[in-house]
Amino acid sequence: MTVRLADGGVVELVGHCPSEDAETLLAELIARPDARVDWRACESAHTAVIQVLIAANVTPAGPPADGFLANRVEPLLNRR
Amino acid sequence: MNEFVEQFLIECRELIEQATDDLLTLEGRPDDAERLDGAFRAFHTLKGAAGIVDFDAMGRALHAAEEVLSSLRAGAEPVTPELISDCLTCLDQVVQWLDAMQADGEIPAGADAAAEAVIQRFRRAGPAAVATPRAPAAWRDALIARHPEAAAAIVLRYAPGPDAFLRGQDPLALLAGVPDLRVLEIEDGPAWPPLEALDPFACRLVFLALAGCSAEQARAALGAAPGEVEILALGAAAPEAASGLSATARAVIEAQLLLLENAEAEGLAGRMGSAGGAVANILRWAGRPAAAAGVERALAQSQAAGGPQSLSVAVGRVLAGEAIEDAAPAGPQPAERTPAEAAARTLRVDVERIDALVNLTGELLVAKNALGHAVSQAQGRLDTAALAALLKDQHAVLHRLVDDLQRSVLSIRVLQMRQVFQRFPRLVREMVVTLGKPAHLVTEGDETEADKTIVESLFEPLLHVLRNALDHGVESPAARAAAGKPPAATITLRARRLNDNVIVEVEDDGAGVDLARVRAVAAQRGVASPEALAAMSDPEVVDLVFAAGFSTATQVTSLSGRGVGMDAVRAAAERLGGRVTMESRAGAGATVRFILPFAVLMSRILTVEAGGQLFGIPLEAVLETVRVARGDIKPVGASRAFVLRHRTVPVIDLGQTLGARPDPAATDEANIVVVSAGGHLGGLEVDRLGARLDVMLKPMEGLLSGLAGIAGTTLLGDGRVLLVLDLQELLG
Repeated sequence: MTVRLADGGVVELVGHCPSEDAETLLAELIARPDARVDWRACESAHTAVIQVLIAANVTPAGPPADGFLANRVEPLLNRR
Repeated sequence: MNEFVEQFLIECRELIEQATDDLLTLEGRPDDAERLDGAFRAFHTLKGAAGIVDFDAMGRALHAAEEVLSSLRAGAEPVTPELISDCLTCLDQVVQWLDAMQADGEIPAGADAAAEAVIQRFRRAGPAAVATPRAPAAWRDALIARHPEAAAAIVLRYAPGPDAFLRGQDPLALLAGVPDLRVLEIEDGPAWPPLEALDPFACRLVFLALAGCSAEQARAALGAAPGEVEILALGAAAPEAASGLSATARAVIEAQLLLLENAEAEGLAGRMGSAGGAVANILRWAGRPAAAAGVERALAQSQAAGGPQSLSVAVGRVLAGEAIEDAAPAGPQPAERTPAEAAARTLRVDVERIDALVNLTGELLVAKNALGHAVSQAQGRLDTAALAALLKDQHAVLHRLVDDLQRSVLSIRVLQMRQVFQRFPRLVREMVVTLGKPAHLVTEGDETEADKTIVESLFEPLLHVLRNALDHGVESPAARAAAGKPPAATITLRARRLNDNVIVEVEDDGAGVDLARVRAVAAQRGVASPEALAAMSDPEVVDLVFAAGFSTATQVTSLSGRGVGMDAVRAAAERLGGRVTMESRAGAGATVRFILPFAVLMSRILTVEAGGQLFGIPLEAVLETVRVARGDIKPVGASRAFVLRHRTVPVIDLGQTLGARPDPAATDEANIVVVSAGGHLGGLEVDRLGARLDVMLKPMEGLLSGLAGIAGTTLLGDGRVLLVLDLQELLG
């Protein structure tokens, strides 16, 4: 499980998040529309996961653990 | 011709077939993105192949076509029949070049002019198509304008497609692999749905990126999704190295070269192996599999020669951006073959069929050992009856195995009709344009199998029949409308397997054969006497179209009037051991039916004895055998004939005709084998009739190939050679 619900209603992305995590993350975000997301421990995320973040228009607490995510992907989020 | 060029030719022909198929489908369904991608990929790969053999002109011509296809993919232009025609013309030109290369292994002279003509064609097709610099896509300019600081070499747009995730792709991971990625953006698309309605596994993202690498490198990084990537090089890009390899790749390859230059004998074989392997791997990684294969061949040569020279030369050529040629000196050129013949010499075989052969070989070994056991028993005290029983068992086993083996071997030579059918949609399309009679071709039973020789020899006869159907069978659009038929005719090309035969039919929904005209023309051209014509039934009249010297065309058209009539079609079918018939339905169309043997190598023959010698007669030609009193065989002119059911049958004394000595013991009655070949009826006088046999016919070769009247030879059970007669030559 690389998507988990931490204390205070924070959804954490941890380690390597495969495409299946997109569904879990989406379910969490639907259940808690005001949830915050934290991806500081995220080492990689499948595009499907990123797509959910974009669609939900959330800005996760960062930066993520991986350089590509931090430099190239994070700027893509919350552009709306 | 070196192996490298040979491989190039085979690959190119396959790609051309695929591209033609895709283009023709695309013409009918302009929205078929998959076919468009397929055609684009085929042109792209062809262009790459041309680059590898240093065929610049071919590369340029294909590049022009590729550019057009690329703008079609971007939606900048609609798919039009004219553009499809231009692309097909480009492929035609490439086929001509390939044929020329097949003949002498050299890049044809005058290719530059021909390539220029092809490129001009595309220029005319539309300024947007090949204008240099090409018409910029709006997204490209906007992206560059947003990031003037990036100073990128390429700009790319990557639309993974909705099913990308389900296909296991991770587009961002692929983009992360693009060297020197400078800007990554997501293209603004339609608004996102509410989260409840979002399908997390449908990819809706389209990426835009700027990078400092070459287009080739970016394409290699995104290789998993070639159909959805658009990469444009920007003018400011640093020119790629001549070799088209990145600096890193060059450095690694140069290191391998150093490894080879160390001429110490110790460990040389290992060094060659690892250096050659490394270079080949790099080339594959860089998307140049043909060059990689060239390096591997050079490696094999080096290993065989025990010196690194071939390999060093090949690797040096890779670095210099040259095409790799075999370093081995060219051997004496084999006898010249026509391109078609040469192409027919390679055969792609399903691995399963080879496996079946391997298994059979194993079983044969077991049978051989069992036979050895029987021999040792025979040397012992086994009595004759027991020995006979043992041998009979072994014979039964061998019989089964040899039958299986033969079937397996023949199945290797089996091809699908698709091989010949797929060439026709293109040609029918051209005929339709030339004749102005709309028609579409439907093929059925593409997967029907037949011997390679049959499939490959069917092309010309079928082409001729198709031409005839369209030229003579199909009415003008006005006449069709008057008859209440749809304006476009349907021509069906159909194949199916029927026992030991393969049936191939060409059916049209035209007017059918005009019997009155056929009668008139046959009388006028002396094909048959007026009395004979009057006595003929309708099917017999239809069959006259196959008679030599018959053609109903009132004017010689470029299509049908090429000096060969349907008689050539019939001759071709008979050469293949089959026959051809025609059925006509007045006002509703006609069907030409080829009935062909499944395998050409197997023949059923009847053995006969004449002049003290044994001969084989192809069984399919034998109508009957009769005994005729010698008195009833009358001299007619220089030859002899007898009357069989009111028909005069000329008689040939087989013994005399073939130069064997006449049988001294002439009897009161003659044994006559009545045969039919090439439309002629004839009687062969023989001394004795023998058995029916299934044989593998070996064609006459070398000195004997000129021998008249003999189709081939086979070996009899007792080791004698049996000559099988070519009745068409004997009777003709």
